[in-house]
Amino acid sequence: MDECQSAIPAHDGDLHVVAAAHHIVKALGTTKNLSDDLRKILIDLDAHLSLITSNIDSKGGKGFVEVEERLKRVERKIVIWESDRIMIWDSGPKEASDYLEAVDEVQTLIDSLRGLSMNENQKQKELLHRASSLLQMAMSRLEEELIHMLVKHKQQSEPTYIPSPSSQRNVVYNESVVSLDNESAKEASSKNSCSDECGEYIVDLVPEHVIPDIKSIAKVMFASDYGQEFCEAFIGVRKEALEQHFDILENGKLSIEDLLKMEWCSLSTEMNKWTWSMKIIFGVYLMSEKRLCDQVLGEFGSVNSFCFLEIAKTTILCLLNFGEAIAMGPQEPEKLLRLLDMYETLADLVIDIDALFSEDGGSFVRLEFHKLLEGLADSVKAAFNAFGVAVSSNGSLYPFPGGGVHPLSKYVMNYISMFPEYCSTLNLLLEDQHSDVASLVSEPQCGPTASLSTSCPMACHLRSITSSLESNLHKKSKLYKDEALQHIFLMNNLHYMVQKVKGSELRPFFGDEWIRKHNAKFQQHEMNYERVTWSSVVLLLKDDNPGSSSLSKSTFKEMCKGFSIAFEEVYKNQTSWCIPDPQLREDLRISTSLKVVHAYRTFLGRNPAHVDDKCIKHTVEDVEKLLFGLFEGSPRSLRNSRRMMKT
Amino acid sequence: MPRNLFRCWIRVRGVTLPLFSLAFNLSKNLPTKMTGTDQSSFLGRISIRRNQVNAMEGYHEQEIEDLELFQKQLSDRFAELLSAPDDAPTEAFLSISWIRKLVDVFLCCETECKAILLMERDAAQISKPPLDRLIPELLERVVKAMDICNAVTNGLELVRHCQKLAEIAVSALEQKPFGEGQARRAKKALVSLMSAMHVDDKESSVQKTAERSWSFGRRSGNKDRHHGHYRSLSWQVAKHWSASKQIHAMTMNLAAPRGPEASCLPAPVYILSLIIVFVMWVLIAAIPCQERSGLTTHLPINKHVNWTHSLASIHDKIGEEWKKKEKKGMAGLLYEMQKMEKLGQSLIEFTDSYQFPGEKEKLDEVAAQVAELAEVCRRMDEGLVPLQMLIREAFHRLVRNRTEFLDVLEQGGPVV
Repeated sequence: MDECQSAIPAHDGDLHVVAAAHHIVKALGTTKNLSDDLRKILIDLDAHLSLITSNIDSKGGKGFVEVEERLKRVERKIVIWESDRIMIWDSGPKEASDYLEAVDEVQTLIDSLRGLSMNENQKQKELLHRASSLLQMAMSRLEEELIHMLVKHKQQSEPTYIPSPSSQRNVVYNESVVSLDNESAKEASSKNSCSDECGEYIVDLVPEHVIPDIKSIAKVMFASDYGQEFCEAFIGVRKEALEQHFDILENGKLSIEDLLKMEWCSLSTEMNKWTWSMKIIFGVYLMSEKRLCDQVLGEFGSVNSFCFLEIAKTTILCLLNFGEAIAMGPQEPEKLLRLLDMYETLADLVIDIDALFSEDGGSFVRLEFHKLLEGLADSVKAAFNAFGVAVSSNGSLYPFPGGGVHPLSKYVMNYISMFPEYCSTLNLLLEDQHSDVASLVSEPQCGPTASLSTSCPMACHLRSITSSLESNLHKKSKLYKDEALQHIFLMNNLHYMVQKVKGSELRPFFGDEWIRKHNAKFQQHEMNYERVTWSSVVLLLKDDNPGSSSLSKSTFKEMCKGFSIAFEEVYKNQTSWCIPDPQLREDLRISTSLKVVHAYRTFLGRNPAHVDDKCIKHTVEDVEKLLFGLFEGSPRSLRNSRRMMKT
Repeated sequence: MPRNLFRCWIRVRGVTLPLFSLAFNLSKNLPTKMTGTDQSSFLGRISIRRNQVNAMEGYHEQEIEDLELFQKQLSDRFAELLSAPDDAPTEAFLSISWIRKLVDVFLCCETECKAILLMERDAAQISKPPLDRLIPELLERVVKAMDICNAVTNGLELVRHCQKLAEIAVSALEQKPFGEGQARRAKKALVSLMSAMHVDDKESSVQKTAERSWSFGRRSGNKDRHHGHYRSLSWQVAKHWSASKQIHAMTMNLAAPRGPEASCLPAPVYILSLIIVFVMWVLIAAIPCQERSGLTTHLPINKHVNWTHSLASIHDKIGEEWKKKEKKGMAGLLYEMQKMEKLGQSLIEFTDSYQFPGEKEKLDEVAAQVAELAEVCRRMDEGLVPLQMLIREAFHRLVRNRTEFLDVLEQGGPVV
């Protein structure tokens, strides 16, 4: 256009040239199948040529008649909508494109009028003024249309396939080591993972067919230098939409002060919500928002990333601050799994975050999340260490009744059986503390059988935790006055640990060597129990003179009595003891039975002459049956059980 | 007296550094010259002193001297802040650059106070009375201050929104020739600006407006919807959270140490507490944030010691301003916002009655105002993002501060 301006004809003769050119342009304009760009150029050229003509005319006093006519035409088209309550884009595509065309025309007229030298021409000034006012009217209208369009379609595009966090939230392991004195250790909960289900999932925040309409408004508004207004309106609606989505995810807004004071149960729920929200907000909504921004604003350069950042900022800050509050809080052992969830979620998302906010303006967001990731890593380590400390320092004042499986063993074993799901993360985070722990739990016999899984940092830490648990159990066993019960207690708990390792994902991290060793350990306690309890009892049946064929009646009677008293004592005590594992209980009864019943039967067999009811309180069968009543955890006196057996 | 080696190290911006490099790092990173060199020499002095006198008598005298030096520096810094002109194109009292300086002073003071309190100190000293009460109280204030930082960050978003609206008005008003269309465009932006500025920070209205949706009937007289999104929930720190109540709670038990305590450890705890409360109070008064009604204009500043003179004067000055403006409902005492409000009001009047082509004299007068508004926008454009970053840094500093104190408390035995 600029070249045209300098070519405003001075001579009347040129008027013909202009008229001819105008004619050609008009003729070309009627051609069908023109590209949009070309048509626009022709329209512009047409407008300009007619202006030149009228400018020359004006010297002759006729004025800008044609321009005024055109302005009046578009004025009618634009003003008519001002009194209408119906939105243009709701009325139909024809109305919309007519309106956009009219706005284009106003813009063209303004450009052309500006392009002409003013020459103190009052008419020209007046026309330009009218056109600018008209443009303002149209722009204001387009802004309203835009907001209306965005709001209307936003509401229709609520994604329905995203399950609510409550259905996703799995059982939470809310137990704490401190509150273990009652038998309440829950069975394991599974990891709160949903990365497979959602991942990165881009949705249409605005239906596909509306995008060209939004874009057409963007184009016109930017072309007329109303880009700022467009951005403010666009940001406003999209920002609110994002915040509504955030609200739907049930993120109650909480201050740091509230979070630091919160009970663990509620906090755990909040941590789960955060993990879930991060995945949805970044993986779905921000990804989709970015695409929407790219689609609408892609051709307007840095405006695109600016708008995206403005839309996302407050929601992001909210998520960020929650993370900060958690990372600064005291890291109790029970927080470990939730912290691991948070860490893993963020670790998975940082690449996306870096990509979403790759521009300079977003460097702040990138930096903050990297910082938060570091903070969460520290928190995981701190909670892991706190867990180790809690395991070794958990103390009891009284012996655990019955010598069964201690809640601490249950808690620890169930808790660590969830660690393998976080294996790679834990290996990464525990790496730097690895060497200290590895030397503590190194197993020299590992040698050729040592595999990668038993030597990774997590495996070493796991074994270090179970060895703390063992020493703590030893401490706890000392609370029993009865040595036999100490062995039952240790046998039970070690057996429980081995079973837990064998029956879970923990197995590869502990290795067969560990299992063998610990099998041997609990079997040792089993043997020790038998020795401590029964050796002295069996000894009562031992013949001092193995040479002679039989005992005197009185000696026999004495020995029988002694055995009965000792046996009844054991029975009274040990029926209240507990071996929760049926197999282990059975094994121990059988091996006890073998030893005791065998000795008793031999004793009686060798003295057939004295065997009568008066001497013998318990028959061999009685003893055998009674032995099978041990370790049920319910104390019985022999009198009852005898009566019971007789009936 | 057992001295732990680790205390010769100090965490600066997340990195643990030995002391000698601390001085260098601080002076490099500090944005204002005023404080940089002073601080590095101050910290160096403490560390050298502490190392020298460790085994010697007269330790307490040295501490008193450290404290006096520290107070002298504080006094100088606040005097400089007080000396800012009330109305100037740059560096005016309560302007963005002034607030940045204030936050810088806070950051310096925080580092130095912590140095006095923790550097080379036996943890047992920190956990003895009265510090076993004073430090946990300080940490409660620190947590509250973190929330205030976040509230203020949200508030700065509103200020940036105002900036964007003002920029639209400026670009319309700068058009030549200036027609009625542009006048209407400018007016529209300015009206939005005014209602964005007079956003009511009370929670009830936040909820009310949050319920109001965008689904409006066309031409339903809903002219202020332009800024609706800044009144939504994103504005909140938490439900029922109130900036003024936080300040009130922070001033509880904040009393200057008396008698012999005034010259030993309770003194820096008081100084740090007071400065945290004061800086947060200024931020709340200057920058819009959730629920400021009833913001106290009284802080328990001990006026009997030298170093608080300038601080108390700043406090009085802002308190007076706050009392004057509070009832009107406003965007805060930030110099740029005040300026924007005045200019906006006047320009709305102009655009209201404007008829093309306008009188030359009036147009010249308006051109001067537009230039002024453009200048305000430019200063906001330059200063707001850095201010947001600085407040974020203050936030992180408070987080770290808390962790460090907790670490020491843990070492010093069972406290709390």
